[in-house]
Amino acid sequence: MLVPIFTLKLNHKINTRMLTIGCYDGQHPCLTAATTAGKVFIHNAHNRGIASGRMSVSGENSDISLLNIQQAVSAVSAGKLDPTSNCDSLLVGTQTNLLAYDVINNSDLFYKDTPDGVNAVVVGSLGTVEMPLAVVGGNCAIQGFDLEGNDVFWTVTGDNVCSLALCDFTNDGKMELIVGSEDYDIRVFQDDEIIAEMTETEAITLLCPMMHSRFGYALANGTVGVYDRTARYWRIKSKNQAIAIHAFDLDSDGVPELITGWSNGKIDARSDRTGEVIFKDNFSVSLAGIVEGDYRMDGKTELICCAVDGEVRGYLPASRDLKGNLMDTNTEQDAVRELSQRKQNLLLELKNYEENARAAQSNRPSGLGGMDTGQMGIIPANTQLQTSLTVDPGDEKHPPHVELFVATTNETILRTALIFAEGIFEGESHVVHPNVNNLSSELKVPITPPKDVPVDLHIKAFVGMKGSTQFHVFEITRQLPRFSMYIPCAKLPQEPQGTVTFTVQERVQRVVLWINQNFLLTDEWPAGAPLHFQVVSLRGTGALVIHMEGNGQVTIKTDDMDLAGEVIQSMAVFLGIEDLQVTSDFPGYMEELKNILIKVDEFSSVRQKLTAEMADHSNLIRSMVVRAEDARILADWKNMRKYYMELFDLNRDLINGYKIRCNNHTELLSCLKLVNQAIQRAGRLRVGRPKTIVVNACREAFKTHNIDALFKIMKVGAT
Amino acid sequence: MMGTMRQDFGAAAMALVPRGMDPLYTALSLFRRRRFEDCVTVCTMLLEKNPYDQAAWTLKMRALTEQLYVDEVDVDEEGIAEMLMDDNAIAEVARPGTSLKKPGTSSGGPSPGVRPTSQSGRPLSGFVRPGTQGGRPGTMEQAIRTPRTAHTARPVTSASGRFVRLGTASMLSSPDGPFINLARLNFHKYAARQSLAKPLFEYIFHHENDVRNALELAALATEEAQFKDWWWKVQLAKCYYRLGLFRDAERQLKSALVQQVMVDTYLYLCKVYVRMDQPLTAIEVFSQGLEHFPGEVSLLTGIARIYDGLNDSTNAVKFYKEVLHHDNTHVEAIACIATHHFYTDQPEIALRFFRRLLQMGVYNSELFCNIGLCCFYAQQYDMTLNCFERAIALASDENMADIWYNIGHVALGIGDIALAYQCFKLALASNNDHAESYNNLGVLEWKKGRVEQARAFFQTAQMLAPIMFEPHYNFAALSEKLGDLQSSYIAARKSVESFPEHMDSNSLLKQLKDHFAML
Repeated sequence: MLVPIFTLKLNHKINTRMLTIGCYDGQHPCLTAATTAGKVFIHNAHNRGIASGRMSVSGENSDISLLNIQQAVSAVSAGKLDPTSNCDSLLVGTQTNLLAYDVINNSDLFYKDTPDGVNAVVVGSLGTVEMPLAVVGGNCAIQGFDLEGNDVFWTVTGDNVCSLALCDFTNDGKMELIVGSEDYDIRVFQDDEIIAEMTETEAITLLCPMMHSRFGYALANGTVGVYDRTARYWRIKSKNQAIAIHAFDLDSDGVPELITGWSNGKIDARSDRTGEVIFKDNFSVSLAGIVEGDYRMDGKTELICCAVDGEVRGYLPASRDLKGNLMDTNTEQDAVRELSQRKQNLLLELKNYEENARAAQSNRPSGLGGMDTGQMGIIPANTQLQTSLTVDPGDEKHPPHVELFVATTNETILRTALIFAEGIFEGESHVVHPNVNNLSSELKVPITPPKDVPVDLHIKAFVGMKGSTQFHVFEITRQLPRFSMYIPCAKLPQEPQGTVTFTVQERVQRVVLWINQNFLLTDEWPAGAPLHFQVVSLRGTGALVIHMEGNGQVTIKTDDMDLAGEVIQSMAVFLGIEDLQVTSDFPGYMEELKNILIKVDEFSSVRQKLTAEMADHSNLIRSMVVRAEDARILADWKNMRKYYMELFDLNRDLINGYKIRCNNHTELLSCLKLVNQAIQRAGRLRVGRPKTIVVNACREAFKTHNIDALFKIMKVGAT
Repeated sequence: MMGTMRQDFGAAAMALVPRGMDPLYTALSLFRRRRFEDCVTVCTMLLEKNPYDQAAWTLKMRALTEQLYVDEVDVDEEGIAEMLMDDNAIAEVARPGTSLKKPGTSSGGPSPGVRPTSQSGRPLSGFVRPGTQGGRPGTMEQAIRTPRTAHTARPVTSASGRFVRLGTASMLSSPDGPFINLARLNFHKYAARQSLAKPLFEYIFHHENDVRNALELAALATEEAQFKDWWWKVQLAKCYYRLGLFRDAERQLKSALVQQVMVDTYLYLCKVYVRMDQPLTAIEVFSQGLEHFPGEVSLLTGIARIYDGLNDSTNAVKFYKEVLHHDNTHVEAIACIATHHFYTDQPEIALRFFRRLLQMGVYNSELFCNIGLCCFYAQQYDMTLNCFERAIALASDENMADIWYNIGHVALGIGDIALAYQCFKLALASNNDHAESYNNLGVLEWKKGRVEQARAFFQTAQMLAPIMFEPHYNFAALSEKLGDLQSSYIAARKSVESFPEHMDSNSLLKQLKDHFAML
């Protein structure tokens, strides 16, 4: 049984997920966390050692120092930015800025504007970049700052970044950046190139590196799991939310466990292999963060868990003689209980078989009645379950969908069908159980996948006779192809405006093969020299035309830039293309983008005016407060009243101004997000090296306000 | 009436322009000779003839601006409002020696027992400049009261007060209303023309003192210059600094420095850091500036001032000496080094520095007072009283009290108690808030055995200067003698608070504690 070796009360609220630990003087680890009212506190348990001279801090909170950030803090992190010193720097992110701060010298390292916001910060060396970087994840953009505050790394991602982690994904000794975002994707960047993408079922709120290429993750719906590269080891789901995850070797077996802190105050440690709980403990309120550090300065690293009310508990790794048995239970008893449970189940099963056998053998005059068969749940031995997927264009009553058709081969009926698939249904699985009166041997399940991703459908069907009480379970797995929501159509309602053109060194047959694998077609598409394949989206986003000449020139026509990107990425993977340069033209989208860019400019200039106005007002308010107080001390009630009345009016103005500014900021943010997404889309039209070049060139063009260049790069790529 | 006045105006202008000379050329010449008022008159005449004369318009703007031009870098004092409602500093409790907020936290500072402190608890500086007199008061009441009792006027805010006054003063000088109606200017048009935009900006910033409009113009102009003109960036930073948006100011200045290294920009950047209470960063920036401009006096002085503010006199003097190495007529450096030597028990050396000041033409009562004190402590008694006589002759109402107080000290030194008593009384006569004199009078009364009087003097001194430890200690010692242990304890506590290492206070406190424990 493991108990905390120390507990502390910090008497300060801790914002969730904003906790870190850093050795700001190179020796003493300090817990650092964001607290209410735009402040960050640093808990220095050892400051009596450093305090020299006449520093005297009042009474009980003597070991806590507060930092004013003046804005709501959105991320806190600490790490070594300066490779030459052994002191950590503190990084504090807000919605508009990133501050790197040298705590011990009370001086800024740098203070940078981050118009895309700061949702997550990690510090460490990244890929081939020599200096350690502070990597910042904002809305659709990722930036890396070095010690001087130069942004040496920049890239875009599909949606708002929720979590970041540095992990040696490829086992090559260099760190890769793992990014979790709101569009349910985990992306892995090697330098600025995406090398892997995994789709999850919710926004990825947390990521943590474990050992080698293994990393833990947590989702907004309460899922926690572990990946090794692109393969998922295990995952569990809880109705509570995971607030913090951390890798720590709690049972001293040399392999770190995944420690999870939950919103209901639970913490548990799970084996990284199986997800089995090896230790748990309870706080009275939600967890705020988990870190590790040598907080007692005795040379041993502790696991430190903090709750939102400022309670801190530290755990030392268990000694080896505990043999990994950290819980307050007896393993032997557990094993006995588990085995007897299994015995019980087996006995029940055996009994069932015996009864069936008896029924079959009993020599009744009437033979084996249908009634009995039903009751016993006997079905013909050759019963099979058939499934098929078709595209239904829909009608007035039903929206267009993909139809999953499940049927048995004979008169047996389907009592229930259970479909398990990620990312299609709410809550991952879907159960169909028709009314008892209209049971039949077939079932139709409409499916509308929200995204163009290949999905495995795991289907479990209960098959039996009408009126049976016991059913046979059939398990079957079907794969839903990537582009299932498209239906071929001979005549297009409207020719798409946007085009992408590129050349591949491949035969037409290979592309046809790709089409047949990735689209849900009733008949295989015939292979022929000029390939002309046209489909209409069931999501109402228009048509998609893929045209390929015999010489390898491919033209994709669609109005949806995302779709074009998906098609190209999927095709590139299938055909094994490493680098692909394309020319594209999306007139409608470009027009939209132009408007957005104009809006961005407008918002920026309005924002500056508003800022100046507010600063002016706040200066006025300050002087007014002093005057009013002055009048109060002089007992000049009339003037005091006057000043306070004015103050009240001014304050109201200021609050109104603030509201306007808030709206302005939100709109600016959403516009910037759209711009970043546009750059991301332009990147997705290319593969490999050209993709990275395009993304960086777009950024450069956007930074220098060169809108024409931006459009040109998006169209023909950068040189 | 108006018509005639205008005619007079025109006639006056004509009188300035010699026959046969181009009026604009004359105006330019007047401008160069710094006869700004005349220049404005001639330009006004030119503008009346042709309101669209851009050259005359620009020149008039520049002439008006020059009249009110102040060096933004040096002239700046934090107002009460900024000081109290300051939320720009990041660390609330910074490590000692890394913040200007907590004076006396640095370990290398002089002891208040040796070097007296100003009214607000900072060691006396050798050179009075904005910000050296005040410390940071704890509460609003204290802050508001301090400037009234001491002779250290502090503006309510730096945003109002002086700047607004400058602005309104300029309004009066033009009877036809303001020269340029800012509300009707199309900033876009002017921003595009760099030659007009720059004088216009300076006019709006210095003359009209309308920071918001100045900021708007600067923002447009810098955009027009494709963010490549460092000058505009520095101006933007000036506006942001005035508005209290220090972070924005910092960003602009840094970006300006990337394009063009300028001493002025470095000084401004350091000002921003000082306001954000990051003295170490400021020193680093100064050092960076020194790499580009080795031996630049203003940068070196800046470093020395910050060390002074941190109460690190060793380093401060080191840099002041460096300043003197490059500019041997630097008054501030000489004065600060002299003061340092005086308070480190080397009056002879201090005397040499003060004499140097005298040779350079500084001729005021403070200097004579200092020389007098140096002479006294260097045992050149013949000069002492001479110097004080001159000091009194030159003294104004403000520093008369200090001089009498110092003469009182000399009297104490030669054992003439009666003279000392007289001197302190005279000091109080010229400034009845002089806490030090009250304290010393109290001691004298106590020596004479008039205990009640002494108590009253100490109490007054305590009230006037809560930051001084002497009246607290004296009061505590007196109360202890009188048996009023409770008051003694309270006063001793206060004394230790303002001077934690004071041996006598500490031992008195210990003695009292032991006594209480026995009870």
